[in-house]
Amino acid sequence: MTATLSTSAPRRVLLGSRALRRFVRHKLAMIGLVMVLSLTLACFFGPYLLAYDELFIDLRARFAPPGTGAHIFGTDPLGRDIAARLFHAGQISMAVGFAVMAIATTIGSVVGVVSGYYGGKVAAVLMRIVDAFLSFPSVFLLLALAAFIQPGPVMIALIISATSWMEVARIVEAEVKSLRDRDFVQAARMLGLSKSWIMFRELLPNAIGPIIVAATLTVARAILLEAYISFLGYGIQPPLPSWGNMLNGAQQYLASAPWLAIVPGVAITVAVTGFNFIGDGLRDAFDSRTAGE
Amino acid sequence: MLRYLLSRLGQSLILLLLVSCIGFMVLNLAPGGPLSQFALSPGMTQEQIDKIAAQMGLDRPLVMQYLDWLWHMVRGDWGTSYRDGQSVLAVIGSHLFATLLLMGTATTISISLGAAIGIFSAVRRGSIFDHTFTVLAMIALSIPTFWFGLVAIYIFSLNLGWLPAGNMYTVGDGSVLDYVRHLILPASVLALVDVAIWSRYMRTSTLTVISQDFVRTARAKGLTRRRVLLRHVVGNSLVPMVTLAGLQLPMVLGGALVTETVFTWPGMGRLFLDSLGYSDYPVVMGLLMTSALLVLVGNLAADMIVALIDPRIRLN
Amino acid sequence: MTNEKHAKPGPTRRQALMLLGAAGAVGVMSPAILGRDQAFAANAAPSGQLVLACSQEPTVFNPLMPHIEVDEGVYYAIFDTLFDFDPAGNFFPILAAEVPTVANGGISEDGLTWRIKLKEGVKWHDGTPFTAADVKFSLELTMDPDFRSFRSTGYKFMRNITVVSDTELTWEMSEAFAPMAGILASTYIIPKHAFDGVEDKNTAPFMNAPIGTGAYKWKERMAGDHIELVANPDYHMDGPYLETLIIKYVPDLNVMYTQFKSGDIDVVGLQYISPDHLAEAEGLDGKVIKVAGTGTFESFGLNMMRDQFKDPAVRKALYAALDKGSIIDALYYGVPTPTETYMPQESFYYNPDLPKHEFSIEKAKALLDEAGWVPGADGIREKDGVRLAFTNSTTAGNHLREQTQQFIQQTFLEIGVSMEIKNFPPAVMWGDYWMKSQFDSVIVGLNCLAGADPDSSDYFMSTMSPALGGAGQNTFVYQSEKVDELLAKGAKMFVPEERRKIYQEQQAVMREDLPFLPMFQYAVVKGWKDDVEGPAPNVNNRIDTWNVRDWKRV
Repeated sequence: MTATLSTSAPRRVLLGSRALRRFVRHKLAMIGLVMVLSLTLACFFGPYLLAYDELFIDLRARFAPPGTGAHIFGTDPLGRDIAARLFHAGQISMAVGFAVMAIATTIGSVVGVVSGYYGGKVAAVLMRIVDAFLSFPSVFLLLALAAFIQPGPVMIALIISATSWMEVARIVEAEVKSLRDRDFVQAARMLGLSKSWIMFRELLPNAIGPIIVAATLTVARAILLEAYISFLGYGIQPPLPSWGNMLNGAQQYLASAPWLAIVPGVAITVAVTGFNFIGDGLRDAFDSRTAGE
Repeated sequence: MLRYLLSRLGQSLILLLLVSCIGFMVLNLAPGGPLSQFALSPGMTQEQIDKIAAQMGLDRPLVMQYLDWLWHMVRGDWGTSYRDGQSVLAVIGSHLFATLLLMGTATTISISLGAAIGIFSAVRRGSIFDHTFTVLAMIALSIPTFWFGLVAIYIFSLNLGWLPAGNMYTVGDGSVLDYVRHLILPASVLALVDVAIWSRYMRTSTLTVISQDFVRTARAKGLTRRRVLLRHVVGNSLVPMVTLAGLQLPMVLGGALVTETVFTWPGMGRLFLDSLGYSDYPVVMGLLMTSALLVLVGNLAADMIVALIDPRIRLN
Repeated sequence: MTNEKHAKPGPTRRQALMLLGAAGAVGVMSPAILGRDQAFAANAAPSGQLVLACSQEPTVFNPLMPHIEVDEGVYYAIFDTLFDFDPAGNFFPILAAEVPTVANGGISEDGLTWRIKLKEGVKWHDGTPFTAADVKFSLELTMDPDFRSFRSTGYKFMRNITVVSDTELTWEMSEAFAPMAGILASTYIIPKHAFDGVEDKNTAPFMNAPIGTGAYKWKERMAGDHIELVANPDYHMDGPYLETLIIKYVPDLNVMYTQFKSGDIDVVGLQYISPDHLAEAEGLDGKVIKVAGTGTFESFGLNMMRDQFKDPAVRKALYAALDKGSIIDALYYGVPTPTETYMPQESFYYNPDLPKHEFSIEKAKALLDEAGWVPGADGIREKDGVRLAFTNSTTAGNHLREQTQQFIQQTFLEIGVSMEIKNFPPAVMWGDYWMKSQFDSVIVGLNCLAGADPDSSDYFMSTMSPALGGAGQNTFVYQSEKVDELLAKGAKMFVPEERRKIYQEQQAVMREDLPFLPMFQYAVVKGWKDDVEGPAPNVNNRIDTWNVRDWKRV
């Protein structure tokens, strides 16, 4: 235990602090962080500041353009406040994004570390499965699945996860493969530590950098995919709002009430751009080769 | 090389089998079915629906239906569409042109534009141009394609009235110019994401090539910067792009699906959604298999081309 | 069979005389239809092109196979029926030389023997003469056990279809069945010779290159895009007046409307102009815009097997809490007409005296209080362990319905009723979930009639619930002895005025029972260029090309 700590842990700490400093100095990443944080804050605290709740229907106030009275983003075809719905939808869309991140990263890490550590046939089989999933037309599969399963947020998160874990698996596998014959792993083996201990306590933490990067990008991807599915009408169902399903049906009112399409679209773009910026910053921060830039 | 090819082919077949099995089960295990669409026709009865189901073989055990489908598939018979009774291959074939036209145009735009931006960014690394396009590319990657399409329709069709909001051509016109006018918006929207991806990869690839010995040698021999770029750098940086093109295929297909929906483009993406809506399983299965096949062939071809043009890459 | 025949009294002579609305019961023939028979030769040369757009794609071209509404849009152009309904609900002959009645000897007095005389000299599009054998073939095909037939109602009573001559055939009915005429009016006749030597009639080449006797001939189909039809110069009636008819598939209503506005589309077809565009459309230059009622009514359907809906007070309270006015005026832009019944208001059999719905939250609450439904801790009412909480389902992606649901959800909550929205994609929604009554409540648009015939047995007869092993589509599982009795009686009666009493009573009983909360009769916004002449609303047909033979450009 102590032996392993002396080999791996300090490196991690060192890596962490240096990476953190680089990350903080990364302009885009900071912009992204501000975007994501402010959007998150708005989604979770915004509803308390608004005059309307997201389910209140007022047919007399339908299709009010942004800035009508207290409706800062206008109202929808049922006269509900778009700002309130947008923030509420944000909670759901981001929750889906983070859930996918957690599930996909976990599956990917396990598959990656197992196949990286064992190598040989185990790796061959696992990585072929990864290839299979990668070459599968995921949007087609997503739609085919969503068309027939009662789509709620949990189901949508699971379906998106099923098509999002492969990249993490590849990254982790590569990293673990390069580490498995290193001294600290040998030492751990000699100490008689169990295989799972070595895999998940010794090897995996060393791949934490790339995993965090991939995880961040997964959130972005998941938010986008949810929007795609819900836009096509196969995703999260009303009255529960999501950014995607707020856009579903907006095309119908594009000429008369363009804000129905514009507002949620901007929110999605800001959120996804934010996560992508952060991911980019993290990649630079963890990558020693680009340290000089 | 041959052995590699054979093993890749074998893997691809297993994969196709897997795709077909999962797809078939997902479609058929779900509630509802292809006869639901007739339920609301005046005079439709449960008795009649049961009779039609039996005639179509929909009352057989699922495994039997799958094996039956597979057996026909193996012999080149992709089945018959529930909707119009045509063979699935004919149905897909009749939608292929529209999709290829859209994807082809979009890919041409994105490769040429993406490569140009990428090379320029790499050569002028660190310049304002480079930084601007880095940020723009990341934003482009973050915009939902369909939403970008909606905004484009709003601006260019509804407000400015410059371009049509949808469809592939005007009925009764159908001239080349007419096609082009209809093609501009969807192709640009579809190309947006790809331009971003291509420019990023091209930039990295060019940077790697620039720093290599033969480029320095060429420069040392006194060739102008321009000549070196055109002769040596561009060609060599494009090699990894071939693989990328293969890997991008599923994404382009997915993108085409959404773009076709927004612009009511009569291609395979629309066909897929329509067929899903009507539970036309044979066509949905056919499209699933076609896209899986396209992706596999795309990847394989990309690997082969790379191996052929770049002997440095060893196939394992 | 014979026993049954004797058990039921046949129609009297006077009743039978009135069969098929022959006499003046239903109104005067519309002028457009008069003088059609003398037609044949002297048609002016057809000219011009017309683009008719639909938001669904026609794909089934054998009209006897299962199909959807939009497919019929093509059938009316290519095929003919023996006779059809005009907008007033009267029959007019098409392939038949005259509409069979007892007076002209077409139908026996007991309604059990039919004799159809056909026009002479009618030809199929490929030049083959049309004969009685084709009619026999078409009628028999519907009952062919190997053929994927669209419907069997009515046909199954037909016996001994006999070709007397090329222009005459007869058959017997195993029982008198008044709706048969309505069913025949939507039975398109297809050519026997197209199936000669065809082993599997479900996959005949005919399906993708249909041959008819209709005003337009099949030219080509670009799948996913359009169908092109050309004038049939040898048509046996007046018309056609257009050289080319293009039926264009435009999958998005907005794009369809935009193209109509810009002039690319001449006539807006099925799914029509969405209600939110009505006001703008009416102001367009050079376009004719018409709001027309259809035979489909929208309702909030209840699954009568659920404990929540067994108490009539609950159904009445829910109906009182249904803010129909707001739904129709705001969400549907005032296009549809409020209704209290399933019967279209244009119909001869419509009951105009049903009690009018009044929206009143107070009345709804009072009804529930009175019946002993008291609010629980969460504000939701309950009684004897049954909570007034249920799901409501409809087609996912139908935006107006989804808006309606969310609106209803809010008003129901005000009276202490919790409604959860649970929508499904169409293939799931209208599969077993609907047919086998697995829902709590639904929002559904139904047309329960066969053309202009008022019979709705398949939908409201208590033996017709698939959930209880029945063969029909009584998915609300409505059980009413009174209605059963009325429906059985009405199907054996032939005098429109007397049938009217039966069906008006049925509507009154159902308005009282409320197995569904009637919302409105659908109306659609039709539009065409002002140089197009001919399109005319007809509530008795499912789609507006019913008279496409008369369409012309001026």
